[in-house]
Amino acid sequence: MYIDSYKDTINACRFCFMCRHLSAAGNVTFRESDTPRGRALLTAKMAKNLRELHPDFVDAFYRAELSAANRFHCVSHYDEAGLILAARRDIVEAGLAPENVKKLAAKLKKVSFKVEGSGDALYYIDSYGSKANVPKDCKVISGGDTGKALEVLGFAKEADAVFAKFQVAVKASGCKTVVTSCPASYDMMKKRLKGVKVLHSSEFIKGKRGSGTVYYLDSDYLKNYQEKMTAPRDLLTKLGYTLKPFGTNNEESYSAGEGAVIYDLINPELAEKLCNRIVELTDSPATDVLVTASPYTKYVLNKFAPQLKILLIDEVASKGI
Amino acid sequence: MIEKQENYLLSMIHSELADAVGREYVSGNAADQLGHSIDYYWIPEMWHDRGRENPKPEFIVHPGSTEEVAKVMRIANQYKIPVTPWGGGSGSQGGALPMYGGIILDTKRMNKVIDIDAESLTVTVETGINTQHLEWAVEKAGFSTMHLPASIACATLGGFLAHRGTGVLSTKYGKIEDMVMSLEVVTPTGEIINTLPVPRHASGPDLTMLYLGSEGTLGLMTKATMKIHPIPESRKFHAFLFKTMHEAMEAGANIMRSRLHPCVIRLYDEPETAKLIKRVLGIDKRGAYLVFGFDGPEKIVDLELEQACAICRQQEHEDLGTEMGQAWWDHRYKFFYPPFMFHMPQAFGTLDTVATFANIEKVYWAMKNAVQDNFPEATFIGHFSHWYEWGCMLYARFIVENPPTDPQEATLYYNSIWDLAIRAAIREGGVINEHHGVGLKLGRLMKELYGPAFKVLTGIKETLDPNNIMNPGKMGYKGV
Repeated sequence: MYIDSYKDTINACRFCFMCRHLSAAGNVTFRESDTPRGRALLTAKMAKNLRELHPDFVDAFYRAELSAANRFHCVSHYDEAGLILAARRDIVEAGLAPENVKKLAAKLKKVSFKVEGSGDALYYIDSYGSKANVPKDCKVISGGDTGKALEVLGFAKEADAVFAKFQVAVKASGCKTVVTSCPASYDMMKKRLKGVKVLHSSEFIKGKRGSGTVYYLDSDYLKNYQEKMTAPRDLLTKLGYTLKPFGTNNEESYSAGEGAVIYDLINPELAEKLCNRIVELTDSPATDVLVTASPYTKYVLNKFAPQLKILLIDEVASKGI
Repeated sequence: MIEKQENYLLSMIHSELADAVGREYVSGNAADQLGHSIDYYWIPEMWHDRGRENPKPEFIVHPGSTEEVAKVMRIANQYKIPVTPWGGGSGSQGGALPMYGGIILDTKRMNKVIDIDAESLTVTVETGINTQHLEWAVEKAGFSTMHLPASIACATLGGFLAHRGTGVLSTKYGKIEDMVMSLEVVTPTGEIINTLPVPRHASGPDLTMLYLGSEGTLGLMTKATMKIHPIPESRKFHAFLFKTMHEAMEAGANIMRSRLHPCVIRLYDEPETAKLIKRVLGIDKRGAYLVFGFDGPEKIVDLELEQACAICRQQEHEDLGTEMGQAWWDHRYKFFYPPFMFHMPQAFGTLDTVATFANIEKVYWAMKNAVQDNFPEATFIGHFSHWYEWGCMLYARFIVENPPTDPQEATLYYNSIWDLAIRAAIREGGVINEHHGVGLKLGRLMKELYGPAFKVLTGIKETLDPNNIMNPGKMGYKGV
């Protein structure tokens, strides 16, 4: 089983409580099975008997929001997020994935990448992104998820196949720089695209000067997966905005499930709760301007917390606040 | 305990609980049952590690308000179902384990900060809040709870109140019981009561103190008003290395006897200095490591720190300076993360004991000898964590690399270490314990600790909880 590669994480996390305060799902469901400790206990059981895995265990693995805030916090950085991905992969290959997950995976496999426009850089737009934010001197690639969503759901082989198609399209574009505003895709490309420079849009766009106070909501993928906290903040500061710290701390995930890529599609109630948590932590929901580097976070907050003013960093750069 | 064959009755109870707290907040989910069957106590961890099942609750209930807690209590009384409160589940004494099944009353949904009173310097809060979240919320308002234990991120406020927890700054700011102004409590029979609003009065015995340390056996504390403090201008540390633990103890006790006000003192015995201080702080030297800190206005901090250093310099010492003191503070929680913490298949336990300065070293040696003479395979290490005007707490630990593999045999083996060590401590004037509580682990020793006074405690329990629904079988009280 894939979880066998994570025995050290299972053994370390199953009796450890030190990061539970950062369990984004656990903080809104209050369930023990929504913490790294709870999930490690489940995988310890799963490792002994996959075939008789209780459906409640499977549900718990798919409730994980995969923010990786816990891994980032841990002094030893035990890979609790990697463990869940491995567990999902085992579940999928054992034919135990929930029906809604299987249906979603079948949809995500249908991709058709196409490249348009002209320019030296290739700009990838994910399903939550928009062409409106793409700089004019870029080619654009779109046509489906890069395979990241499939990978996160545990469909690793299918993810490989989709990414291979993406890679072919990138190669055919002739561009040596690929840019995306989607942190999940950025993470995928950073790990897999060879011979091409991969940038997040906050590292690429220039933008125009503005002013005002904004609260920046960290992206899970930029902060916890790629440990790249500074680019979006640097851009906002460079453009003239004053940044105020959001919430009560800089460790919690405020991305509303971005780590799980399509969280709202498999756990709509939980996605809504994560959005409500952001509303709770917003100083003045009616007036504060929140900025995210993740199109997913913007999308899901617009969906479940329309009272908040949430802007994508690309929009702030091109249009101001 | 609910008989499994009574599924009809189980469904009826489930319906009543769902009516009380909302359907979404009652569950018999297998994944959550597993999570609630293991806390931070070694026995359930070992049981799980060896592939055995721990006792599980029939229902996990997440009430969202005091009134909902009261409803759950009334249902439990009606059906005589055990109710085991659960906060963070990170207690080391088995206090939150559902030994007789029934209801786990998980308090984490009750997590609201209700009011921060900047005039009286208090915060009123629901007790299911994670204490790191509480500290963050209070810090955002410009204050601190000053309750900063290693388990700050693991536990809820209710958990600390229930077992009289202690934070790392206890020497200046007190234990959790020193930080409480007042409580709201739901009694086992479902009444909602409040203790008096201030902790210093002459209006009879202190009802607040009755509930602190009661470990969920006398009711559920649902709200608390706690003291908060300004964030100090300065906090500084200094460390020394002494040849022996005795010399370091003398220095530490002299600091306390001089009536200086350190926020923290910690002294590691020679084996723990060699093992953990070396591993975490990189100090590879023989001796006993002593660190202390002061906080407040910088001028006062500097003066007190210098006085404390002068006291230490009266002994033969090596001055490790402020840097090695600050390093300890910066890494103070690192000791508790894996792989720095002990882990399976090791058997390990924290023989937390508190005593006066006159007795504390005798307690240390009595425990150490009891463990090492009877279990030569065990390693015994210790540090002295929480210092008061009259004495301090011994955080002694035993570690056995290869305990018996059979779970029942391992349990017998483990408990016999505890029995011997704790009885040795009690004989020398030690009290079990300072901040971990009693739970399931030490309940059997409560009669020996209290003597005839234990009848007073059982009398209170029987009066307040006539159907014995609240956390039965813990703290030495009877089970179901």
